[in-house]
Amino acid sequence: MKTTGQSGSRTDAALSQAMDGLWMRFLPEIKARVTVLEAAIKAVSEGKLTGKQREAAQAAAHKLAGVLGTFGLTRGTVLARELELTFARESSPGSGAGAKLAEIAAELRTMVERRKPSA
Amino acid sequence: MPFAVARKILIIDDEDDIREVAALSLESVAGWEVIKASSGAQGLARAEEYQPDAILLDVMMPGMDGPTTFLELRKNQATAGIPVLLLTAKVQGTDQRRFADLGVEAVLFKPFDPLTLSTQIAAALGWS
Repeated sequence: MKTTGQSGSRTDAALSQAMDGLWMRFLPEIKARVTVLEAAIKAVSEGKLTGKQREAAQAAAHKLAGVLGTFGLTRGTVLARELELTFARESSPGSGAGAKLAEIAAELRTMVERRKPSA
Repeated sequence: MPFAVARKILIIDDEDDIREVAALSLESVAGWEVIKASSGAQGLARAEEYQPDAILLDVMMPGMDGPTTFLELRKNQATAGIPVLLLTAKVQGTDQRRFADLGVEAVLFKPFDPLTLSTQIAAALGWS
C-alpha cells in the first residue's frame, strides 16, 4: 500500500467503512449464490443434478471465489474455488460426494452470514 | 493521493459487486477517475468515448467475454493503444498462458486486495 502514517490510516479506515457498505449492499446477491450451490449439492445427494444446475453452480462458485476474498473472506474463496472445480467437471459428482460438498456449502453459508465489519 | 498523476481507468465487469469494489478502491486509495461498464459492448463504446489511460477487463462475461472484447479494442484505431489488464478468477495454468498470449499488459487475479489494486495496476503499467 502506498499510503502511510496517519493519512494512510484514515484512508484505510474510510475504505474499510465503504467496503462494509458495499458488503451490505451486495449481501443478498452473495447469499443467493450460496443458495444456488446448496440447491445443486442437494441435487447431487439425490442423484438428480441436471446439466443446467451444474453450470449454474459452477458460475455461482466462480463468482463467490472472485469476490469473497476481496471482502476479507480468504477462506471463503478457497471453499468456493473447490466447489467451482467440482462443478466444472463434465461428469456430475457422484451422490457419495454430496455430504462433503454440503459441509463446504454450510461453512460458506456461515462465513457469509457472520462476516464482521472490516473482516 | 499516493500517485503524482491522476489517471482515468475504465472497469469492464458484469459483476456489480466486483465492479463497485474495484471502483471504490481506485477512487479512494489512488484518487483516480473511474468509468464503469457492465458488458463488453458497453466497454467498447465507453473506451472510445472516454479514452481512459487503462482498462481493467474481466475475463468471464456473458455475451462478449474479456478476450473477445480485448481483440475488438485492438481492432479499433481509437482504442487500439489503450493498455488493457485482464482481471480473472481463473487459476488454471492453461488459462493463464492463453491470457498472456493475447498480448494484454498484465493479468490480475480475483480476489484482489482493495488497498493494493491501484499499486498493482501502476506497477504493471510502469506508472509512478
